[in-house]
Amino acid sequence: MKRRDMLKLAAFGAALLTTTALLTTGNAYAQDKKWKIGFSQVTTIEPWRAQFNKDILAEAAKHPNVELIVTDGEDKTEKQVADVENLIRQEVDALLISPKESAGLTGVVQQAIDAKIPVFVLDRNVDTKDFTQFVGGDNKLIGRAAGEYAVELLGGKGKASGNVVEIWGGMGTEPAHDRHDGFHEFTDKEPGIKYLLDQQSGDWKQDQAYNIMATALRNNEKIDLVYGHNDPMAYGAYLAAKDVGREKDIKFIGIDGLPNEGVQLVNKGELTATFTYVTPGAEGLRQAIKFLNGEKVEKTITLPTQKITKENAAQVLKDNGL
Amino acid sequence: MNALKLLSRTKLYWGLIAIFLIGVLGSPISSKGNNIFLSYGNLLDVLRQVSTTGLIATGMTAVIITGGIDLSVGSLMAICSVVCAMLLTVPGVTPAVVLGVPTVAVVALCLGFVVTRFIFLNLAKSRAGADAVRDVRLDGVRGLVTPGIVGVILCCLALWFLLPQIEPKFGVLGVLLVAPCVGLLFGALNGFIIVAGRLQPFIVTLAMMVTALGIARLTAGQNNAVLPVYTGSNATADFEMLRSLVFGVIPMPGLFFLGAILIYGAVLRFTPFGRYVYAIGGNEEAARLSGIAAGRVKIVTYAVSGLLAGIAAVLYVAQYRQGKPDAGAGLELDAIAAVVIGGTSLMGGRGSLTGTFCGVLIFGLLSNILQLHNINSNLQLVLKGMIIIGTVLVQERNAGDLLAYLRLPGGQAAHKETTATKRPSQETPSLNLGGNKK
Repeated sequence: MKRRDMLKLAAFGAALLTTTALLTTGNAYAQDKKWKIGFSQVTTIEPWRAQFNKDILAEAAKHPNVELIVTDGEDKTEKQVADVENLIRQEVDALLISPKESAGLTGVVQQAIDAKIPVFVLDRNVDTKDFTQFVGGDNKLIGRAAGEYAVELLGGKGKASGNVVEIWGGMGTEPAHDRHDGFHEFTDKEPGIKYLLDQQSGDWKQDQAYNIMATALRNNEKIDLVYGHNDPMAYGAYLAAKDVGREKDIKFIGIDGLPNEGVQLVNKGELTATFTYVTPGAEGLRQAIKFLNGEKVEKTITLPTQKITKENAAQVLKDNGL
Repeated sequence: MNALKLLSRTKLYWGLIAIFLIGVLGSPISSKGNNIFLSYGNLLDVLRQVSTTGLIATGMTAVIITGGIDLSVGSLMAICSVVCAMLLTVPGVTPAVVLGVPTVAVVALCLGFVVTRFIFLNLAKSRAGADAVRDVRLDGVRGLVTPGIVGVILCCLALWFLLPQIEPKFGVLGVLLVAPCVGLLFGALNGFIIVAGRLQPFIVTLAMMVTALGIARLTAGQNNAVLPVYTGSNATADFEMLRSLVFGVIPMPGLFFLGAILIYGAVLRFTPFGRYVYAIGGNEEAARLSGIAAGRVKIVTYAVSGLLAGIAAVLYVAQYRQGKPDAGAGLELDAIAAVVIGGTSLMGGRGSLTGTFCGVLIFGLLSNILQLHNINSNLQLVLKGMIIIGTVLVQERNAGDLLAYLRLPGGQAAHKETTATKRPSQETPSLNLGGNKK
């Protein structure tokens, strides 16, 4: 009886000592870095977010004097707030945050600002104006680029004609509305373009887009162009067309242009074009380092979009090491 | 009572102290040479972060002691947070008002009735003396009429207070009344279905979890999970009080959590109701035969669980300035984990709120330490899961059994008499510091 308890105690003590030792050696290596930068990410399991983290880590590897801490909010407001509080306690020199939503994260961003930490907000805004900088893409801009290219594909300015299927992202979401509005700024000027669907949402998902397109194909003899609010939905529409043998006479345009997703599809010739929605990871970190080195930074940086077609897809893949 | 026995009796506290020591010794040092983990701000953060889970776990503990489980708390928190946020920001007759105000009326009516009747009954009992207690019956006036009148008066008072607030938007006090009431009603509904329908708590609360999520989304309407209901700068002023530090020391959510633990802990430990809760968990049939109204006691535990979920929702809205249908998602599992780490048995009949308090803090400190060391977040999940298993093994004293099973040194069946007959009943939870007393 007693001996076993002694054993237990000894084991417990040993465990305590080893953990402590492990933890202390863990922090010893980061002493020679000049800047400690914290980045609070919402979640890591969406493709775009994964690419976001990849970009920021690749950029951090180019700066040997920067220690980058990346946290994962597991798609919960509470967790992300706790992460940011934690980074504030660790006294990071700069804080990068990609908020899950504006309202829930505003308080803690304000807390960081009050603690004199420069805050760089990425991709989605918060309800305060005191942060150092906002870096993000502009969905309207991307929509415009897609609209311009769609007009070009359908016969050029003033002469364009054809039947267009547009597959929306989530109905209640701002990115979907922006991508729709930008696209229509160009296509609405063309009297020859006809829209076959009235606001059908695929909720950003490939399978739902497949079903929408399958129905559209059954109801319409002639479809010339499909505009999906993201690449997976455009690809879902492509698959639906392929299953009835009509993919050759339809053009497919998507958005996001992730190297491992949209660009691959364009390279295989399955999508006609995609427009990159660049993650603000690399640019945000560059701006933060610039600011820490004492240079001036602008209040807002809007990331440009890039058109990816068959011509440049292979090159883009090569640049991303694929 | 030798030292080792005492050590094993209080092992939860030792676990808490151990986690704390690991935190202190292994803490990163800030640029100014301060210990970050020990810094005042960090410990406050931990208390604030665990308070939501802590409140939920407090209600969950009593439910689990009766041998039940409540999976619906996360969704109840979602409903209450949406109701709370909408009342604060949207004027007029919104779905939140339609759901909230009648709920308060019903709850006021029932509470007034039940509490008054209870008081009369106890007065009558004390007058009748100890021998005649079981034969005490209330007459019509004291049993029905007076409690009914009190209930109606309370109901009218609540409506008189709430109805004028519909057209402008609700004030903080109104919201503080409505949200917990909504939680209370849904919790009581859980308990009622379980008791009256004689169904498994697991399935009833699982169904409630789905139903409540649907109601939360319906209430929020167009403001689905993507767009929080409650945004806007005017919101910040309303709830300043619930975000502030009390006396500049304790964050308000933490105070709510500590208060809930203390009050509910005292109720479970020192009142007949508390003893009934343990008795039902130990052996429901025996409890019923000895004259305990098992059904009513169970309904009360589920109702309190819902009530605490409602309070947690108000704190959520205050902290994050938003109410959303996805607030509190997955919270029930965190709460159950904390309760079990605290030594409460899922079989029922064994456990304590002090244990739950330690369990919640152990979990919170652990998350904090792992995050301070910037351990990869996926690895963090693995570590947390392993620590749950390890702690529960130590709690249940089955670590020896596991080692023996694997034929490892140090393993011998920890207690050969693990039969149900040898398990002492729980009449005196008062000495039960860490929960587990075998």
